[in-house]
Amino acid sequence: MTDSPTRPGGFIFFLQVLSISLIWVLVVSVITWILNLISLSHYLHDAQNATLAISLVVLPIFTLLASVLTYVFVGLRKHQE
Amino acid sequence: MMEDLRKDPDYTLFRPILESDRRFYWAVAFLGAVVLWALALYIRQLIYGLGVTGLNRTVTWGFYIINFVFFIGVSHAGTLISAILRLSQAEWRRPITRMAEVITAIVLAIGGLHPIIDLGRPDRVLNVFYYGRLQSPLLWDVTAISLYFTASTVYLYVPMIPDIALLRDRTTKFKKFYTWLSWGYVGTERQKHILERAMTILMVVVIPVAVSVHTVISYIFSMTLQSGWHSTIFGPYFVTGAIFSGTATLLVVMIFFRKFYHLENYLKEIHFRYLSVLLLVFALLWGYFTFSEYLTGIYGNEPMEMRVIRFKISGAYAPYFWMMVICNFVIPVIILSFKKLKRIPGILIASISVIIGMWLERLIIIVPSLSNPRLPVVSEPYVPSLTEWSLFAGGVAAFCLMFLLFSKLFPLISIWEIKEGRAEGLEAVHQRLESYLPDTPAVQEGV
Amino acid sequence: MAKWGMVIDLNKCTGCGACVNACRIENNIPNVGEEEAQAGRALDWMQIITEYEGEFPDVRVTHIPRPCFQCDNPPCTKVCPVHATYLNEDGLVGQVYYRCIGCRFCMAACPYSAKKFNYYAPEIPESYQVIRNPDVTRRMKGVVEKCSFCHHRLSLAKDLARFENRDLREEDYQPACVESCPADAMTFGDLENPDHKVATLIHSSRAYRLEEELGTDPKVYYLKKEDK
Repeated sequence: MTDSPTRPGGFIFFLQVLSISLIWVLVVSVITWILNLISLSHYLHDAQNATLAISLVVLPIFTLLASVLTYVFVGLRKHQE
Repeated sequence: MMEDLRKDPDYTLFRPILESDRRFYWAVAFLGAVVLWALALYIRQLIYGLGVTGLNRTVTWGFYIINFVFFIGVSHAGTLISAILRLSQAEWRRPITRMAEVITAIVLAIGGLHPIIDLGRPDRVLNVFYYGRLQSPLLWDVTAISLYFTASTVYLYVPMIPDIALLRDRTTKFKKFYTWLSWGYVGTERQKHILERAMTILMVVVIPVAVSVHTVISYIFSMTLQSGWHSTIFGPYFVTGAIFSGTATLLVVMIFFRKFYHLENYLKEIHFRYLSVLLLVFALLWGYFTFSEYLTGIYGNEPMEMRVIRFKISGAYAPYFWMMVICNFVIPVIILSFKKLKRIPGILIASISVIIGMWLERLIIIVPSLSNPRLPVVSEPYVPSLTEWSLFAGGVAAFCLMFLLFSKLFPLISIWEIKEGRAEGLEAVHQRLESYLPDTPAVQEGV
Repeated sequence: MAKWGMVIDLNKCTGCGACVNACRIENNIPNVGEEEAQAGRALDWMQIITEYEGEFPDVRVTHIPRPCFQCDNPPCTKVCPVHATYLNEDGLVGQVYYRCIGCRFCMAACPYSAKKFNYYAPEIPESYQVIRNPDVTRRMKGVVEKCSFCHHRLSLAKDLARFENRDLREEDYQPACVESCPADAMTFGDLENPDHKVATLIHSSRAYRLEEELGTDPKVYYLKKEDK
């Protein structure tokens, strides 16, 4: 892998991949959290419909945000020429 | 390399990153001291409990919740204004968008901390993740704010990539840092296209998210049965107030940095005039909402509701109430309606008065309802303590500090957008204008 | 399932405050000190609200003892973000001190101001240690608390009834405030059991509930004060 300011390799590339993975870590943890809340609401019979409705709105947007970032990251790296 | 940069027509925009004068260090030292002082008092509150505040049995929410609503409100204008201006392809947006987006990201981080400061047991805050109930409006807030924070940070970052690449290529400072963040952007056509597409998606996503955040915050109050809170217009009322205070903050920040970094060539009077039209519109909208809110209450004359309203307009909170009306409505409408007063000093006065007025509005909404419980229990007046004042000052100082530090790392005005405006703006506007104009009908022969 | 409720006869209540004191001792309620009480941070679960009507000298004074109303449709439990306050299987509104994060949303939502917040860590003087009730959890700094209808007494009564292999009787379970009332103004029992005295009292023409129109369905009834 060539190491230049425009196409970094090594440590900086590792950092870049790390930062893009972090947003996915965030998305996965949000999904885990919301799934936990859904199971809790079923277990306690406590506002299950509201829980499901809110989750259905929140989760796609989080995923979309992470996807857009990944798209930009991959796209910028691929189309440097 | 540096010589080359100095010849750039937009060197002024790079300068804050390359050089710092003494004023900057003094400002950082002062703001840092205020933040540290607030931190010390917060640690004291952690040790002794919320007893160090002025809260009591009936007034259980005070400065922390007021500031929470206020800061989240201020965070509103940024991303929203920037997204709306970009979507509507307003050419004058170019020097404004970046600052607006930075306000959002920073103030949202500060505002989002306030509910945690307000907790009696901050050590148990993770219970929200283990045992949260999505039925509680507080959980709606947690999800909406974390979503908005993620969205607005991404929306701040993506349009900044070309600028970071510029910094990487043309300066020598923090080279590795900029290399890391620029993600290999070199400015090919395909790369530009990718960024544009990403920005369009983000703009469309961020507008409804922004509106939902403040609506949800108003639900904290309107979902309860308390008189003065249980109102259906609270959602739009809060959103309007949020954009109102946010626009005012944006204007103040723009006026300050224009002076501090000599950006007069970029932020011209016309930008302030256009934005102040928005401020005027929102002042009128705010007046309309406030009028509807109180008229329905007074006309209905429900005794509990009336007690709260009387407490606000002629009782103990009357000075704050009328001050709020003057600050939010009278002053901005008078200043912004006359062309003579609508210059930068006038706009600055109007904006500062709106910021004060909107803070008072949050106070007027939260405290009087709590001081007038339904049952005639004795309610002690709420007097904020030194801790609460200091944490308020700390919040404001943290905002200024983070903004200053940001300006030392990234350009406060989007350089690539300015350059693009120079290169393509005129042509694009010309073409667009031609597409609006009715076609000149060809002269028909033989009529 | 029993529906535990209370009837308070305002004709009989003299406002003596015995219920308030009985509650303090029964539920280990800390004394916050004069200064804090002046600032409006007293922690009493049972509170006597005094209503004045008319101008001096024709004043009519009504004392209204106010425990938690244990609403059947409680506004406070809906807003709790962590399930720390909830309607339990006995129909009482429970409060979990070890889960509460201290956001005080339930206090803002309660239309009856029945909830109390521990602004400081409770200090209990040495001399109070002897009267401390081991059945009731001590609260810690930063959590919300409120009247539980002496729920610990219900648990005890249930255990006893099961042990003696019989049904729960009316006199088995009485909160401390009801037990202590010298004027016999408070009556406690199962609102749905016709054998209990409360079930007849709530059908009295004088019976009413506070802020009934909010739809909270409180389980504490008052018998209206009448002029004699």
